[in-house]
Amino acid sequence: MSADYLKQKRILLVDDEPDLLTLVANILRQDGYTDVRTADSFANALHQAEVSAPELAVLDVMLPDGSGFGLLKRLRGFTDCPVLFLTARGEEEDRIRGFGLGADDYMVKPFSPRELLYRIAAILRRTYRSEDPLVELDGSRIDFARAEVIRDGEQIPLTAKEFALLSALCRNAGRIVTIDALCTAVWGDNPYGYENSLMAHIRRIREKIETDPSHPVSLVTVKGLGYKLILKSRK
Amino acid sequence: MNSILKLIRRFVGIMVLSFVLLILLNLSLLAAIAARQAANQSPWTIAMETAQALKPADSGFTVTSEAFASLRACGAWAVLIDESTGEVVWQTEDLPVTVPMHYTYSDIAALTRGYIDSYPTFPAASAYGLMVLGFPRTSYWKHMWPSWDYQLIAHAPQIALTAAALNLILILLIYLTANYRLLRSVQPLASGIQTLPSGEPVFIPEHGLLSELASSLNRTSGLLQSQKYELRKKETARANWIAGISHDIRTPLSMVMGYAEQLKDDAALSRGQQKKAAVILRESERMRDLVNDLNLASKLEYNMQPAHLRTENLTAIVRQAAVDFINADIAGKYPVEWTGNQPQIPCTADVDRELLTRAVMNLFHNCRNHNEEGCTIYISIRRSEASWDIRVEDDGVGLSDEELNRLRDASQGAACGAGIDGQRHGLGLQLVRQIASVFGGEILMDHSNYGGFSVTISLPAADT
Repeated sequence: MSADYLKQKRILLVDDEPDLLTLVANILRQDGYTDVRTADSFANALHQAEVSAPELAVLDVMLPDGSGFGLLKRLRGFTDCPVLFLTARGEEEDRIRGFGLGADDYMVKPFSPRELLYRIAAILRRTYRSEDPLVELDGSRIDFARAEVIRDGEQIPLTAKEFALLSALCRNAGRIVTIDALCTAVWGDNPYGYENSLMAHIRRIREKIETDPSHPVSLVTVKGLGYKLILKSRK
Repeated sequence: MNSILKLIRRFVGIMVLSFVLLILLNLSLLAAIAARQAANQSPWTIAMETAQALKPADSGFTVTSEAFASLRACGAWAVLIDESTGEVVWQTEDLPVTVPMHYTYSDIAALTRGYIDSYPTFPAASAYGLMVLGFPRTSYWKHMWPSWDYQLIAHAPQIALTAAALNLILILLIYLTANYRLLRSVQPLASGIQTLPSGEPVFIPEHGLLSELASSLNRTSGLLQSQKYELRKKETARANWIAGISHDIRTPLSMVMGYAEQLKDDAALSRGQQKKAAVILRESERMRDLVNDLNLASKLEYNMQPAHLRTENLTAIVRQAAVDFINADIAGKYPVEWTGNQPQIPCTADVDRELLTRAVMNLFHNCRNHNEEGCTIYISIRRSEASWDIRVEDDGVGLSDEELNRLRDASQGAACGAGIDGQRHGLGLQLVRQIASVFGGEILMDHSNYGGFSVTISLPAADT
C-alpha cells in the first residue's frame, strides 16, 4: 500500500504537557506526517477539532479542564475519526472505559516512539484503506477493492479466506501476526485446530503473490509463531 | 455444628457409661451383701439346728451346749410347744415374761409369719414338738406377706430390662432438659468461633447462660474487624501511593525515552553521542518496566488487582506475547524460537490473559536485560502431569550455580538483591512468581540446555 496518502492525514494531539506535545509532534513529523496539530486543554482540543476536523486524534486522559474520556464523548458528537488514547493511566478500568467509548487503541505512558508510530499507522491503514485499496508487494500488488492480486499484469482472484487473511496481515504490515490471530480472523472465535488449514491457505496465497513461492519475500513465516507481510515501501 | 454434635455425643456417651457403671456397682453391692448374709447363719437355720439339738433330759428337755452357745451369741430365746396341747413344755432361761406359755393354732400361724410381742420369731419342727426361737426385737425385720404374682417372677428378666431401659430414657430426658439451654447458648458461640478465622464479622445475641462469653466474642470480632480495616486502609494507602508515584513518573519518562530515541537515531550526532543516547533509552526502558512491575506487584500483594480467570488457550497467549516482543525488537538482537508444544491438544488453563501476558513478557525482558549483546530466546509449552509448563529460556550468559540457588532460595524476589552481571533479578521474577501463584501455579528456575537461564511457569491444566 502506498503509505503516502496516510501521511497527509490530519492528526490532532491533545496533552496538557507542552513538552510532551512537542515531542510527539516532532516524532510524527519526522516520520513524514505533514499535518499535525496540537492542543493542551479540553477546550482547545474541542475548538481545534471543530475547526480542522481531524482524521486521527491522540488524546491524553487527564486534562486541566476535563477528561479525555469526556472529550471523546464530545468529539463523537460531530466526528467519527479514529482515536488513540496516550495516557499515564494504565489501569484496566481506564482502558476498558476508553475502549468502551469507542477508542481505537490505548497506549500507556511511557511509550516507545516507534510503537506509537506503528500503532498510528495501523489505525490509519485500517480506517482509510478504502481510499487506496492497492497494496504494493515485492513481486505483485493486492487490490482489496476487487479482491484480487495483480502479478505480471495477470489478475488472480482471491478466495474469501485468502482475502480475510491478507486483510489481517496487511493491517499489521511489517509486524508478525500470530497463527491464532490469523485463525481467529478467518474462522472466528474458536480457531483451535485450524493450523494445518491455515498453512494450506498461506501456501496458496504465496502462489498468488510471490514470484518464487518456495522462497517467499513478501509473506514470511516466523516459525511456530506466525506470519509477516512485508510491503514494498517498508522493506 | 459438628463440634456441637460431637459434644452432645460425648455427653450422652458419658451418661450411658455412668448408668452402666451404676448398675454394675449396685449389682456388686447386692452380691457382696448377699454373700455376707450367706456367711452368717440365718435365723431359720439356727431354729432348725436348735430343734435338732433338742433331746429329752431328766427334768424334761435340754439342748446341746453348742446350740446354747449359738442362741446366746445371737441373744435369742427358745420355747418348745407341745403339738397336742399347745403348752410350752420347755424354754430357755432368758425367756421374756411377756411371752405367752400357751399357743393356739392361730397363734402358731401368726408367730410363724411374724412376731411374738415384737420379737421376730422363727419356728422349726423337732421330734418333740414345735421349737420357736425369738430373736431380739431389733435384730430382724420379717416379711409379713412374702408372695408375688407368678407372671411377675416368670417374666422377671424382661421386666428388669424394661425397667432399666425406662430408667435410661428417663435419665436421658432429664439430661437433655437440663442441658437444652446450655447447648442452645453454646451453639451460636461455637459457630461464632468457627467464623472468626474467616475474617467475617461475628455478632452473637448477648443473652442466655453464656452471655458473658458471647459479649467477649463480639468484642473480639469487633477488634479484629477494626484491625482488618486499619490494615486494609494502610495497604490501600501504600498501594495508592505506589500507583500515584508510578503514574507521575510516566509522563517525564515518556519524554526521556522519546528524546533519547530521537537522539539515538540522529545522524547529526557522533557515534559516541548516539551510543550515550542508546544507553539513556535502554535504562529508561528498564525504569519503565520497573515502574510497571512495582505497581502491579504492590497491587497483587494487597489483592487490589482483580484477576479475571477464564479458561484460555495458553499457546495463543504466549505466541502473542512473543510476537509483541519480536515486533518491538527492531534491531533483531533477540530472536525468539518456538521450540514446540503439543498442537494436538489444546493447552488450556484458567488464567487472566493480561496477567499471563505480563508474566511471559517479563521473562522476555529478563532475557533482554541480562544479555545486552543479544541472545536467542526459546519458548515452549509442554504438558507435565496435571499442569502446563511454559518455558522461556535463552542461550545467553546464564548464571552460576550459586546465583541460581540464591534466586531459588529467595522467597521474595526482591530479597535476592545481589547483582547478577551488575543487575538485579528482582521485581521482574517476583512478579512472575506472584502472577503464577494467582493462577495456582509456580515458577521453576534452572540452567538452560541452550546455555543460558531458564524459567518455567507451571500452571494447573484446565482439563484436570
